[in-house]
Amino acid sequence: MKFWILVFGIAYAALLIFASLKSYKKGRSVEDFMMAGSSIGILLGVLTYAAALFSTFTFLGMPDFFRRHGIGAWIFLAVSDGAMVFFILWFGYHIRMKVKQLGFKGVAGMISKCYGNKWAGYTIFLTAFLFLIPYVGIQIQGISIFMGAAFPDFIPSWGWAVGIVIVMLVYSEIGGLKAIVYSDAIQGVLLLTVLWIIGYNCLNAFGGVAAMFDKIEVDNVALLSTPGPEGLFSAQFFIASMIAIVMIPVTQPQLTTRLVVMKSMKSMHLMAVAVGAFAILVITPTIFIGMYGASFLKDTLVDLPIAQQAGVFFKETFLYRQPNFVAALALVGLIAAGLSTTNAQIFALGSEIRGLLNLEEKKVMRITKFSIFIFALIALVFSELIKDQIAMLARVSFAGTALMGPMILLGILSNRKVSTFIILASFAALVIFLLSLGGIIPGSYFGLRLDLTLFVSLSVVALISYGMGKK
Amino acid sequence: MNIISKKTNLMNEEKKRKYWRILRTAVIALCLLTFTPLVIPEGVYKPELFGVPYSLWTSFLITVTLVFLTYLGTKVHRGVDEEEVEL
Repeated sequence: MKFWILVFGIAYAALLIFASLKSYKKGRSVEDFMMAGSSIGILLGVLTYAAALFSTFTFLGMPDFFRRHGIGAWIFLAVSDGAMVFFILWFGYHIRMKVKQLGFKGVAGMISKCYGNKWAGYTIFLTAFLFLIPYVGIQIQGISIFMGAAFPDFIPSWGWAVGIVIVMLVYSEIGGLKAIVYSDAIQGVLLLTVLWIIGYNCLNAFGGVAAMFDKIEVDNVALLSTPGPEGLFSAQFFIASMIAIVMIPVTQPQLTTRLVVMKSMKSMHLMAVAVGAFAILVITPTIFIGMYGASFLKDTLVDLPIAQQAGVFFKETFLYRQPNFVAALALVGLIAAGLSTTNAQIFALGSEIRGLLNLEEKKVMRITKFSIFIFALIALVFSELIKDQIAMLARVSFAGTALMGPMILLGILSNRKVSTFIILASFAALVIFLLSLGGIIPGSYFGLRLDLTLFVSLSVVALISYGMGKK
Repeated sequence: MNIISKKTNLMNEEKKRKYWRILRTAVIALCLLTFTPLVIPEGVYKPELFGVPYSLWTSFLITVTLVFLTYLGTKVHRGVDEEEVEL
C-alpha cells in the first residue's frame, strides 16, 4: 500500500503546488488574496462549495451515522441539503444585492454595517470561532487516525496533525482564496471518486442493494427505519438539523463567501442546483459503507467501547478491507478532504477578522495572516481532544452557528433601521446554548430541544424587530 | 413596439413571481411532509421499493424533487434578470 500512497500522494502534492503557483500573483491586493477577485465560474464554484460543505464529516461521519443510527441519516443530511440548495436561490440573491450596496469583507463586518453596531459583528465572529474550531478539529483528527493506521509506529498521531496544519498554512499563504478554491476542486473530484469506489466494493460484498437490506433486516432491523437503534432520529431532531443545515450558507462564513465570489447570479443559481445533485451522488455511497460496517463488522465492534468503534470501523472499511491502491486513494482523498475544508474554514475566520478591522490595508493583511496562524494552532490542540462522534460534533457546529441566522437575515433583508435588541438576544442564546453543551443546564425543556427553541425564539424576535423598524 | 415589449415583460415578470411563489410553497410543503409519519413512521420499513426500506426511498424521492424544484427555481427567480440589468 505504501507504494500507492507514494504515487497518489506525489500526484496530489504536484497538483497542489501547481494550483498555488497558478494562484500566486506578485503585488496582489488584499481583495485578490481574500476574495479570489470575485470571479469564480460555475464548475469551480460547484466543486469549491461542495468541497467546503462535504468534508471529512461526509467521508467518515456519514458512514458512521448510517452504521449506528440507520437509514434516517439520509433525511438528516440529504433532504436538508435539498432544502438548503433551494434556499441558496433566495438568500444568494439578497446577499449579493446587499454586497453591492455595502461591499463585502466578511459576514461579521457586513452585518456590523447593516446594524450600525459593532457588537453584531463581534457576536457573529465569536460564534463562528467557537463552533468552527471543533469542526476544523474533526478534519485534522480524521486525517491523523488514518495516517496513524497506514504508518503505525512511524510518528505519533499529533505529528500527522502538525504536518497537515503546516501544509495548510504554507498553501493558503502562497495562493490565498484562489488556491483554496483550486484545492477544493481537486478534493471534490477525489471525494466523489473514492466514496463511490469504496461504496461499490461494500455493496458488492452484499451482492446488491436488495440483498444488503435483507441482510441488515437479519443483523439489526432497527437500522431500516426511524428513529434508529439508539432512538436518535426523532422528527424534532430532523427539524432542528434541517434548520441548522439550511442556515449554513447564512451563518458559516466560508460558504457565504463562496456565494459572494461567484462571477454572476446565473452561475450562483446553477451552482446551487449542481451542489444538490452532488449531495445526492456523494451521500448515496455512504449508505453502502455504513451498512457494510453494521453487518460485516458487527462481531468485531460489538465488544469495543463506543468511543473506539468509529476508529476501528474507519480503518477496517477504508483501509484494511480494500485493495491496496483503493486504500491508498482513500487515504489521499481523506487528506484532501480534511485539508481543503480546514483551509476554507480557517481562512474564513481570518477573513471575518479582516472585516472587523478598520486599519491600513497592509496592517490588516498582517493581522489577518497572523490570526489564520493562531486559529490553526487552536484547531490543532482541539483535534487532539476529540476521539469519536464526528457526525454529532459537526451537527453541534451547524446548530451553534445557526443561532446567528435570524440576526444575519434580518440585517441583510431589512432596509429599515431595526432595533438592535436582536443582537443582545442572539448573544444570550449563544451563552444559553454553550451552557447546555457544557451540561450546566438541560438540553431540552417540556420535551422541546433547546437548539430548536432558541432558533424559533430568535426568529420571533427578528420578526418583531422588523415590524417595529423605522422606514 | 416598445410599449408592447414592456407590457410583455411585465406579464412575464408577473408569471415568474407567481411560479416562484408556487415553487416556494411546494418546497416548504415537501420539507414539512418529511417530518410526518407519512415519511418517517416509527419502526416501519415496509412497503419496500426494489428492496429499499420505506423511509429511505420516500426521502430519496423527496431529495430528488427538491433539487428539481431548485432547477425550476433558477428559471423563474427574479435574481438573474435584476443583476443583468444592474450590470
